[in-house]
Amino acid sequence: MARKIPHAARPIVYLLGISVAWLLLPVVFKSFARTGFYEFQAPVWLTAAGLKNVSQSLGLMAHSKEELYEAGRDLARLNSAYELKLQEIDSLRKELSRMEKILVLPPAPRFDYKIARVVRRDQSSWWQQMVIQKGRWHGIPEGAAVVYSGGVVGRVSEVHTYTSVIELVTSPNFRMAAQFDNDERPVTYQGAVNLPFTNPRGRVMNVPPDVVLTASAPRRLASSRLGGVFPDGLTIGWVNRLTTSPDGLFQSGQPRLNKELLSLREVAVLVPIKAVGDR
Amino acid sequence: MLFEVYKNFNPRLRVFYLIFAILFLVLSTGLFYRQVILWPTYREQEKKQNQRRILVPGPRGNIYDREGQLLVGNRPRFSAVVYLSELRPEFRRKYIELVRAARSSNLKIDRNELQVEARSAVVQKYLDRVNQILGRNDQVDRNEVERHFRQNLLLPKALVKDLELDDFAQLIEQVPVNSPIQIHTESARYYPYGSSAAHILGFVGTTFEVPAEGVPGDDLTTVTFKGKTGRTGLERQFDEHLQGTSGGEIWVVDPSGFQYQLARQQLPAKGNDLSITIDIDLQLATEEALGENKGALAALNVKTGEVLALASKPDFDLNSLSPYIPNQVYRSINERGAWLNRAIAGLYPPGSSFKIVMATAGLLSGSIDLDTVYECRGSLQVGNRSFPCNNHRDRGEMSFKRAIMKSCNVYFQNVGLRTGVDQINRTARLFGLHQPTGIELPNETGRMIVPNPEYKEKRQHGAWTAGDTANIAIGQGYLLVTPLQMATFMASFARRETRTRTTLLYDATIDPRRIQHGGSKIDLPEDLYNGIVEGMEMAVSGRDRGLLTGSARLAHIPGIRVAGKTGTAQTQVHGDKLTMAWFICFAPIDDPQIAIATVVESTDPEYLYGGGSHAAPVAKKVLQTYFQKNNATTGDLATR
Repeated sequence: MARKIPHAARPIVYLLGISVAWLLLPVVFKSFARTGFYEFQAPVWLTAAGLKNVSQSLGLMAHSKEELYEAGRDLARLNSAYELKLQEIDSLRKELSRMEKILVLPPAPRFDYKIARVVRRDQSSWWQQMVIQKGRWHGIPEGAAVVYSGGVVGRVSEVHTYTSVIELVTSPNFRMAAQFDNDERPVTYQGAVNLPFTNPRGRVMNVPPDVVLTASAPRRLASSRLGGVFPDGLTIGWVNRLTTSPDGLFQSGQPRLNKELLSLREVAVLVPIKAVGDR
Repeated sequence: MLFEVYKNFNPRLRVFYLIFAILFLVLSTGLFYRQVILWPTYREQEKKQNQRRILVPGPRGNIYDREGQLLVGNRPRFSAVVYLSELRPEFRRKYIELVRAARSSNLKIDRNELQVEARSAVVQKYLDRVNQILGRNDQVDRNEVERHFRQNLLLPKALVKDLELDDFAQLIEQVPVNSPIQIHTESARYYPYGSSAAHILGFVGTTFEVPAEGVPGDDLTTVTFKGKTGRTGLERQFDEHLQGTSGGEIWVVDPSGFQYQLARQQLPAKGNDLSITIDIDLQLATEEALGENKGALAALNVKTGEVLALASKPDFDLNSLSPYIPNQVYRSINERGAWLNRAIAGLYPPGSSFKIVMATAGLLSGSIDLDTVYECRGSLQVGNRSFPCNNHRDRGEMSFKRAIMKSCNVYFQNVGLRTGVDQINRTARLFGLHQPTGIELPNETGRMIVPNPEYKEKRQHGAWTAGDTANIAIGQGYLLVTPLQMATFMASFARRETRTRTTLLYDATIDPRRIQHGGSKIDLPEDLYNGIVEGMEMAVSGRDRGLLTGSARLAHIPGIRVAGKTGTAQTQVHGDKLTMAWFICFAPIDDPQIAIATVVESTDPEYLYGGGSHAAPVAKKVLQTYFQKNNATTGDLATR
């Protein structure tokens, strides 16, 4: 007669059983289960984000008419300022293409912008990721650059049907080519382990030894087009100290990143024009 | 009833107990001996068996000019690499795949061959990824992968070497952080000024003999990244000083030799820097002035003996020799004869520039004075040989200073014949023309010749004749010197001393007044010494009817008093009679600061070079650059 499993040990035994079964399952099944699980989770995140938006709008509705008029006026001013900027950009683009023709240069890489709401953040020290509300359905490609008004946000690491996962610029698994202002030589930027409630930081490496900066005159670290993913000049952070390696070949430092990275609500995914055409 | 009493203890068993006890003691002692006494030995053996050391050479120190301009530095050399140990599971999977494919096709399975194939295919897979990012189409060399796997398993296998900066940037951005593809960085020598001062700075070659002092794990099996060692120039002379301190990694490896745990790491450190006396602006001006000519120029600080510029042409771009010398580049440099540092290893007859030594010898011996006059009729008959004098058109009586100004051969041959070969020889040796200068460079020649009768007899060229003396008096014959020696002579003469300690090592704290050059004062009264200097000044700035007529007039710089002497030596090169144009000088006369000797070789027997026409303008440009930069004189420093 088979002995019964003691009541207290049952959970452990079942857990072990499920774990062993999971381990023995074929990889295809596990991959399908994981994607399915994610896709099932996505509507929950989207709904939560939507509810949050609704609650924020309801909160805004509590404002007085005068306050709303004032906000409307500010918005109108901002819109007109942006209109002006757009016109400037348009004339600069024309100038750029004229110069490219004169100098017989290949056209600079161009991007399509996809604005997406942030629906979830995972900014523990292990997973520096966020989920945005656009995915494959909206033409988001894997590996695309993600930016915001303050500079680099990260890169698309996973694309699902309606959502995408962004590897944040603070993540240790994020690496990109960067450059200092007025210096076109590429350096390496990589995220670092960022503990909760601390200012976000990264690491900059392979900095040539002749790059000079001081605490009183920090230098902006920006993206470099040489890497092929990001356009030139998007701010990554500010560096105010560099340390020379013992072999004297390079310097390294810890760029201070923008605090806004921790509370972003909207980002733009830069989709290379070619990638859109290929879709 | 008697009961048999069973005794638990039988005395007859005592002996067995004893035997067992002894055996147990032996075993215990053996165990103790193995576990406690031999423990360090076993631990050492285990360590040797399980650990490997990788030596990483440190980058070499930089070389700077006297103003802190970087002349030699290190540039990073990026390569895309894979560590084969990280690919082990993939090798295995690919191997199984290949075995299955072979079985399904009923092919004969050669396990060794399939393993090689699997490794090559996996490495190719990663190379394809790099190709895709960089837009290349490279293929792995199967034999190279195998050789690397067998011999250098612990070192990274390069997929693409010498990445350009944009390639580096693309890989950094597009290869995931945790990919087996890594960017490996080595240092390569970098020369910001390309070919400038190429012969002084020298270049490095690769070596596996990397210094391991201070790196732990001496007794371990060691693999080494290639290091660098100086081959020529300062890189060789100060190899030990510039050499970086090696770092090392100790890895725990599995029985197959794959590394799996880093046990210890010591970072390499850069070598010591070196500051040299060269002024790179002057060096660049010198090389520009020499242009495409073959020749050399040495410029010294008169007071300190510091070498300000030392150029040799033709030269070569040092960057083309780093990180290695391609065969084509080597052959090209060889064919142009550019390896030779003509400034310290080129031997030339000094021609008429030697007349300053001659004049000093004559005045020192008392055989002539400033009023000595000889008649120049355009040639001098000595024995059965006629020596022409084509340096000037003046005929008739020639005074001492005018003879220097016009570089009259007849005058100085007469001086030579009156002074005698022994005194000439003694004076030349007094100025150190018979020995190397001792500059801190390898390959300075020691084959210079200041001849005397014994020299000629020793080489079985017969007895010394008056013709030989007449020849040596105008810097011809057996006499051979280097440009640096003549610059050293000029610097010594400018200080009224006999020797100058030339150096390439820059020390900003040195007091010029305390430098011991090792010679003595020239034993000439002030007026006689000044007589020679005036003759030299006349050669540069002397005028007849308002026109510059000295042999070195093309070196005249308004506002600067230059004392100079031209020379045009004839020599035979591979049967062709070629001319070597010389010019030696120092300036300013009132407070000598810079001494120069330059030689320009003619390469065509049909086209004769002259010291005044080909060498003096070169020195003039160098002097102009020097005085413009140092603003050391008053008056007009125009570049006219």
